[in-house]
Amino acid sequence: MTEPLTSPARPILSIEGLSKQFGDHTAVDDVSLDVRPGEVVAIIGPSGSGKSTLLRCINLLESPTTGRITVGGIPTEVDGKVSQRELVALRRKVGMVFQSFNLFPHLTVLRNISLPQERVLGRSRAEADARSMALLEQVGLASKASSHPPRCSGGQQQRVAIARALALDPSVMLFDEPTSALDPELGLEVLSVMRQLADEGMTMIVVTHEIHFASDVADRLIVMADGRIIEQGDPKTVIDDPQVERTRTFLSAIRDR
Amino acid sequence: MSTSLINDWGEWLPRLWDGLLVSLQVTGLSLVLGFVIGLGFALLSSAGSGLVRWPAILLVEIGRGMPALVMLQLVYFGLPGVGITFDAFPATVVALTLTTAAYTSEIIRAGLRAVPAGELEAADALGLSHVDAMRFVVIPQGLRIALPTLMGFAILIFQVSALAYSLGLPELLGQAYSIGAATFRYLDVLVLAGLLYLAITIPASWLVDRLERRLSKHLG
Ligand SMILES: Nc1ncnc2c1ncn2[C@@H]1O[C@H](COP(=O)(O)OP(=O)(O)O)[C@@H](O)[C@H]1O
Ligand SMILES: [Mg+2]
Repeated sequence: MTEPLTSPARPILSIEGLSKQFGDHTAVDDVSLDVRPGEVVAIIGPSGSGKSTLLRCINLLESPTTGRITVGGIPTEVDGKVSQRELVALRRKVGMVFQSFNLFPHLTVLRNISLPQERVLGRSRAEADARSMALLEQVGLASKASSHPPRCSGGQQQRVAIARALALDPSVMLFDEPTSALDPELGLEVLSVMRQLADEGMTMIVVTHEIHFASDVADRLIVMADGRIIEQGDPKTVIDDPQVERTRTFLSAIRDR
Repeated sequence: MSTSLINDWGEWLPRLWDGLLVSLQVTGLSLVLGFVIGLGFALLSSAGSGLVRWPAILLVEIGRGMPALVMLQLVYFGLPGVGITFDAFPATVVALTLTTAAYTSEIIRAGLRAVPAGELEAADALGLSHVDAMRFVVIPQGLRIALPTLMGFAILIFQVSALAYSLGLPELLGQAYSIGAATFRYLDVLVLAGLLYLAITIPASWLVDRLERRLSKHLG
């Protein structure tokens, strides 16, 4: 029960033997991971354990040293060089939300969401704006469409960032500590949007320290340390009864905060 | 005595005014051409490929290291030696354009670098091409960040344009000199010319200040 490695559905995302080296430091060490369509995977682990690097390797913001990434059945061998075409193909299927939102502050909220649709998917301005407005509605920010990001709260900015990524119709969404830069109340509005997304069946990988979110929303919890997956399984089981000593230490450390 | 000074100034003013217009023309042309070339060099000198970057950086450093007076003399007196001859006006524009391009490319490059790396990562993650990321994300913001410094530099180039008197260009200082040579009233005419320079530079600096304050409020 703790290791649902054989799943009925074909994985929508499959990572095989992924490693990332920075000089002689191994940030991600031979990680393999299959994610089923609609599955929500939460990743926790101490700072420096390679969580961000793993996510960044999945959409090739960081080029992995070795490994293979398969999204929607199309594999990308990442040993050495990846072609520009493979890169674009992979990124179209993978959306990413950053800890620091990374909206474009000189563009309105609406332009932030519409511009990538026009440039990446070739949608017309009208199509793109219609989709953007629908998404803004969904994340509760339709009234902010013509504001600039610096005029929005952090929680609002992060919700816009989520809408911006969703607008490209990704198969998988990656979240790298999406609430870590936010005050708790603002974090909650972001978490509730993510929860809604999970309910709608979006496949998600979420690096987070929000243990409640992980145990309520995630289908699987992965614990990383030193670039490796040290434990994984049903979130409640892992949280209530960790099998690995380091998981236990880490969980009590974040509970004490 | 003071009324006669004012009379003389009134008499000199039309020629000095013509000179001021020439100064503004060479400055304006050099700035427009220089900014465009400067943006090009800013992009080349932040290119990923060293084969593109290093030659661009070298040219910019030569342009910045060369005193504007030397640049002017080189274009006007030096280039005829290799068969390229300019009148004083185009020679001034060419020289000041080169100086402007070299300096503004550094100013713009600093502006482009100040755009947070996270935004470029987001552009990458969204699948925007590098060209699109530059065009829609980095350049608009980089230029906005660089704008106050660019405008400060524009004021400086207006002042530097006075060096073109050494090519015999009838700009403001050149006109003042020729009036001085005819009347031996160098002090009086140079003071008037100086006041005309200040009539441009002081309001311009004030505008730059205001712009800087407005922009920092908007981007904050
Ligand atoms: N660009 C980089 N260059 C060198 N080392 C890096 C780089 N990015 C991450 N690292 C290192 O890789 C390790 C994992 O980092 P990271 O993936 O950010 O961990 P986490 O997100 O779990 O805190 C850390 O030791 C970090 O210092
Ligand atoms: Mg991290």
